[in-house]
Amino acid sequence: MSKAASRANGASTKRLAEDGDICPVCKSSRYLNPNMRFRVNPECYHRMCESCVDRIFSHGPAACPIAGCKRTLRRARFREQTFEDLKVEREVDIRKRVARVMNKTESDFETLRDYNNYLETVEEITWNLILKIDLEATEKRLRLWEEAQKAEVESINSTVSRRLHTATDTVDPQSDTARVILKKSGVQRKALGPSSANTPEPGAMDTGLKDTGFTFAGLKKRVAPEPEKPFDPYGGWNIEPQYYTVMDDYDVDFISGAKTDVHHLAGGYDIRDFYSRALCEAFSGFGVFVEEEVIARENQASGDVGVGTQTAATVADGGKEVNMDDIF
Amino acid sequence: MVISPVLSPKPNPPGPGARPPTMKSKPLAILNSSNVQPPTAASTPGDTGRDMAEQMNDEVRKQFKTGAKLGEGTYAIVYSGHYKSDPSSLVAIKKIKVNQDYKDGIAMDAIREIKFLSELDHPNIIKLHAVFSTKDQNISLVLEHLPLGDIETLWKTHSISYSPADIKAWANMLAQAVWFCHENYVLHRDIKGNNLLIAADGTVKLADFGLARSFADPGRPMTYNVITRFYRPPELLLGARHYGGGVDVWSMGVVIAELAIREWFLPSNTDFEQLVAIYDVFGTPTEDSWPGVSQFEFYTPPDDSSVPAPANGTGPSHRATSPSQSTQSSIKRPQPLTYWRQRFPLLGEDGIDLIRGMLTLDPRKRLSAREVLEHRYWTNAPRPTKKEDLPRQGSGEEKMGEDLKRRGGEVESGRVDKVARKLDFGAMR
Repeated sequence: MSKAASRANGASTKRLAEDGDICPVCKSSRYLNPNMRFRVNPECYHRMCESCVDRIFSHGPAACPIAGCKRTLRRARFREQTFEDLKVEREVDIRKRVARVMNKTESDFETLRDYNNYLETVEEITWNLILKIDLEATEKRLRLWEEAQKAEVESINSTVSRRLHTATDTVDPQSDTARVILKKSGVQRKALGPSSANTPEPGAMDTGLKDTGFTFAGLKKRVAPEPEKPFDPYGGWNIEPQYYTVMDDYDVDFISGAKTDVHHLAGGYDIRDFYSRALCEAFSGFGVFVEEEVIARENQASGDVGVGTQTAATVADGGKEVNMDDIF
Repeated sequence: MVISPVLSPKPNPPGPGARPPTMKSKPLAILNSSNVQPPTAASTPGDTGRDMAEQMNDEVRKQFKTGAKLGEGTYAIVYSGHYKSDPSSLVAIKKIKVNQDYKDGIAMDAIREIKFLSELDHPNIIKLHAVFSTKDQNISLVLEHLPLGDIETLWKTHSISYSPADIKAWANMLAQAVWFCHENYVLHRDIKGNNLLIAADGTVKLADFGLARSFADPGRPMTYNVITRFYRPPELLLGARHYGGGVDVWSMGVVIAELAIREWFLPSNTDFEQLVAIYDVFGTPTEDSWPGVSQFEFYTPPDDSSVPAPANGTGPSHRATSPSQSTQSSIKRPQPLTYWRQRFPLLGEDGIDLIRGMLTLDPRKRLSAREVLEHRYWTNAPRPTKKEDLPRQGSGEEKMGEDLKRRGGEVESGRVDKVARKLDFGAMR
């Protein structure tokens, strides 16, 4: 409220006008209308009071009422100014616009030098726009760049969504929802058809054929993210017996009672757990492999006699000596 | 004097100040023994009074630095700690108290915990780093540091909100842990929300193997008095002595159900009430639905109200006082699918099908741990949340202390429990 303070101190009318407390269009001042608020349009940055904006532009676009300015302004674009200096206001607006289009980060470039070169270019076109040098050419380049970026992102998105659709298709092709998705993706593919018809690979689309406005050395290509693998409820673990196959039933005397005992059955005792456990403990525990021993025994039968199967097996395999006498 | 370099314990050193032989604590340094260079007894002249096992034990003990006490129970004290070589690698050290019941040895719970945890190595099972004993013959288990609380506090804390995908992620980690135990022929027998601790990265880990045992041989009876009551399956409540992995699957189903409804699923005060609570939801078992059910020790035929009530699970000596038989003994119908849909909206159709499969009265018809993992619930939408994105609670270190110190199967009935322990000085006047 420094303005209010200065007014209270009896500042001159000229000072008031410089401060902008008089509307340049209707010449009404804050002294007459304490609720007066000013608006600017980023088209030409001429200030005028709110009531003038309402009066002039409420019936559609009109020319700027400031003498010498012939620009057509729209009411919707009028806004409150953020900075007192309108030059700063304009520069900030331009920078915002450029930053929205030129939005690469350091990680998008191969080297820091490439990134700095890119920043240099961005700064150059920003100042071109601010100082109105080569305005037309710069605007065109910016537009081309924006379009190229958009096309690149879209092509990646479409490959990702296509992947997603095919994934859902394989899950249950019978269901109604899947068919709907199929139809949808068909439409999407058709829509993509003409644009991708002349370019066989979507990735190679914009390299030499199209003018992208700018070319930056060392800019990495955008790559589609790796498709997510289907969820594995086992978390990557797989426990299958490697050395034996468990059969459904074994006919052994000492377990035949338990097999038919009502207490075992009703309590949920599963005799197959016992089978697999017995086999596991018999074959997976100590690195003893029956088949290899059999081969070793056959070798032994043809050759020397009197060597134990254990050592014969290791010798025949040429493998390491299995240390059987673990002190614990 | 010729000293055998292998394990034969050295005779007491001569002299008046000879310490008594401490045979019990010797063979405890079983883990990590392979990476510790075993010093031979003969080669170190300074350690004349100590044999190889003791020296190895010291080697293990020296690796860890014990820190603040996290919690103390009747059975164990839990400290935080870390490797001396790397202060950033945290561990929890569970020091088991010398138990009155096992004066001449190690408490059963500790034996079970050491035995099974040292064999099971899976990302969803708590890791046992080492075991060592201290001078006063206490055993300390060096366990993985799991600071983010447990599954039970997760659903009890109402400031935390979670989605169906989060439930699926937690449930899957639990299912993997149980499957891994069963594939290695270990029955956990105490699966419940507060035995499922959460690691710093959000992984759920199954802890407390104090009641675990390996699958029994046919004909060998097992005790039915295991598993915290809310999670105890009907066959154990009925007194089955021969059971299999189905008991853990039931507990797992109850845990998932609790996660989904954020309250106790089958609460009760006595073992008999627990059976009633189960029958209320799943119906009364009959010889048709569960062949052989009438042969169980504590089975009462539904319509015969003259027979005394089944015992509560503390054993045949504690026959329960006959509850009002007239209303509770008539055959109940299982709840229809609409009940499940209404009560478990967070699980969806697939999830409901899964937990109904896990919570089947007849253990033979119940899903096995492997069948649980093969269920379509896991692969259908929504995809389980990645563990780094799971909702988590704040400092749960004290809670970890609480959870690890508990003895297996101990029921934490909550408020009343704590009040009873308090000394009432007001009454002394």
